[in-house]
Amino acid sequence: MPHRRTMTVVARLFLILALALSACGKSQSSADGPVVMAPSSLQEALEEVVDAWAARGHDRPVLSFAGSPVIARQIRSGAPADIVLLADEQWMDVLEAENLLADNTRLALLGNRLVLVSPQSSNGGEISGNLDSLPILLGQQRLAMADPASVPAGRYGKMALQSLGLWEQLSGQIAPTENVRAALALVERGEAPFGLVYASDLAASDKVRLAAEIPEAAQPPIRYPAALLTSSTNPDARAFLAFLTAPEAEAIFAKYQFFRLAQR
Amino acid sequence: MSFEINLRHRVGDCALSVDFSSEAASIGVAGPSGAGKTTLLNCLAGLIAPDQGRIVIGSRTLFDRDQGIAVPVEQRRAGYVFQDARLFPHLKVSANLAYGERLGGATGDQIDRDQIIDVLGIAALMDRWPANLSGGETRRVAIARALFANPKFLLLDEPLASLDHARAEEILSMIEQLGPSLAIPMIYVSHQPQEIARLTDTVLNLA
Amino acid sequence: MISALEWSIILLSLKVSLVAVAVTLPAAYALAWVLARRRFSGHSLLDALVHLPLVVPPVVTGWLLLILLGRTGPVGALLDRWFGITLVFHWTGAALAAAVMALPLMVRAMRLSIDAVDRRLVAAAQTLGASRWHAFRTITLPLTLPGILAGAVLGFTRSLGEFGATITFAANIPGETRTLPLAIYTGLQVPGGEAAVTRLAIISILLSLAALMVSEWLIRRNTNGRAHVV
Repeated sequence: MPHRRTMTVVARLFLILALALSACGKSQSSADGPVVMAPSSLQEALEEVVDAWAARGHDRPVLSFAGSPVIARQIRSGAPADIVLLADEQWMDVLEAENLLADNTRLALLGNRLVLVSPQSSNGGEISGNLDSLPILLGQQRLAMADPASVPAGRYGKMALQSLGLWEQLSGQIAPTENVRAALALVERGEAPFGLVYASDLAASDKVRLAAEIPEAAQPPIRYPAALLTSSTNPDARAFLAFLTAPEAEAIFAKYQFFRLAQR
Repeated sequence: MSFEINLRHRVGDCALSVDFSSEAASIGVAGPSGAGKTTLLNCLAGLIAPDQGRIVIGSRTLFDRDQGIAVPVEQRRAGYVFQDARLFPHLKVSANLAYGERLGGATGDQIDRDQIIDVLGIAALMDRWPANLSGGETRRVAIARALFANPKFLLLDEPLASLDHARAEEILSMIEQLGPSLAIPMIYVSHQPQEIARLTDTVLNLA
Repeated sequence: MISALEWSIILLSLKVSLVAVAVTLPAAYALAWVLARRRFSGHSLLDALVHLPLVVPPVVTGWLLLILLGRTGPVGALLDRWFGITLVFHWTGAALAAAVMALPLMVRAMRLSIDAVDRRLVAAAQTLGASRWHAFRTITLPLTLPGILAGAVLGFTRSLGEFGATITFAANIPGETRTLPLAIYTGLQVPGGEAAVTRLAIISILLSLAALMVSEWLIRRNTNGRAHVV
């Protein structure tokens, strides 16, 4: 029967295709570097650091980016990672309390600053001073920022707004996102006229511009801790973690507006 | 009452060609299966537009290809009793009967509904669902429904098909009884010559 | 038992889902009818487009909606300029995302029931004097009622559970677009939030169960004593 013959041919083609595809692609397992989970705000900087590490002849680390709460949840559920970076100490404390961090490997790696951004194409100059005019300029629209309830960038943003005395007024007018890059994207798209993001995000995007500096007095203490996980199995992991504190890495981070913190 | 039917229509391999005219009140249409008897009825009812031709029933021109006349189905007032009955399953028998009634509108010559119910013996079925009717009951309701719509002419497509002899005989006499009192032309299709002989004088043979 | 905040989340979810289904119902039926009853050269394309949200990752659908209907998108900019309507950050955006995701399911259910209606019944109605529209209203529409109900309930439960397209298009605004699934997801992000989330999850399951049971009852009620062509 022609119908049955067609089905066999199709089945065979499918099988061959599946086998061929699985043979392609990067060869897995043995030749991979350590698995590094990091906040989305570190995306560009960390990719370049990994490039530098691989250029030294090491196996290329595998990077996984997400919001800090998501990373923490995945690690608590047993995700097989070697190194974790997070955007605040609070989430790192959670992991430490559950004995997921290898002893004496935790360090406060990087700092950052908060800035107020607006779409590249928007008019109006910078807002100066203590951002008093922000509520008026915002009008009926929303301020994009990471979720203040759980995402570090959101928590820092809330702290900054509280210092400026603007939180009460604006808390009902925010667009909370699951990570700071999503807030950045909302401003890039023009969905939100303003966003509260990191200086490093401003540096990474050419579709937004600086609308205002957050005054020094209102800047929250932003700290990116890093640590080795107890579940780490990769022999390169410790070495890569050390590399993150090396001068070469420090220069790369600085380029993206992350500054090195003094050792804890 | 007159019929003037000239039409040509091709459906697949079957080519139907009819040239017929008659003043008779009832006309039988005979012929083997596949001869196009149902196709002919569908053309008269307006469900199919023949490739060519002209249809005049009771001095109303229902279709004329050359003159561009084609009266739509819903305005032809054809009381069509289908071979498969086609009762509406979501309406009770009484609602099925009333369906065409509501749309019929007053034309002056009202059909005597009580008489039809009486002759067809369907008074007891009014509250039933079509799904729960027997074959014979279904046919009788179908005939009544077509009549209740106040048609200008009747088309019956093998109304006695697949009925057992007793039921067929029963319904045949009902039609015989109703026929004269209705005063509307009737076209009766069947492949059984005896039925046709009993009900009609004029026969159109499709072969 | 249920806190005020939880009530507001449930009510928002119900509002978004009900509006999504109510607005989509006529469009879904029209699409189902065209796909079931009409043959035309764009038929397969239309069929594929209708089913797209079913097979494409919800986030992608949400992203496409954003491109088209965001404030800077071609359609969104018009909506904003002419009517002052913005969908992003509003419950109407969440309803739209839910509607788009529910549409294929609704069309499928309705199309099945339209296919099942014997067209000879419509012909019979016409011979009795019904216009095409009247025959549609009195014959086709009632006979497809079970399909409409099934489609509506499927669409409703799908809308209740819609996440990816909603969070991508309408964002996660508490009180506006933070429906049950988004609230559960957000709650999971907070350390120790699992307990609060469990209640919402149970409520979500109960709502879907209730909707399914109501639909079963409705369908059974409307097909009592029926069969198709007799």
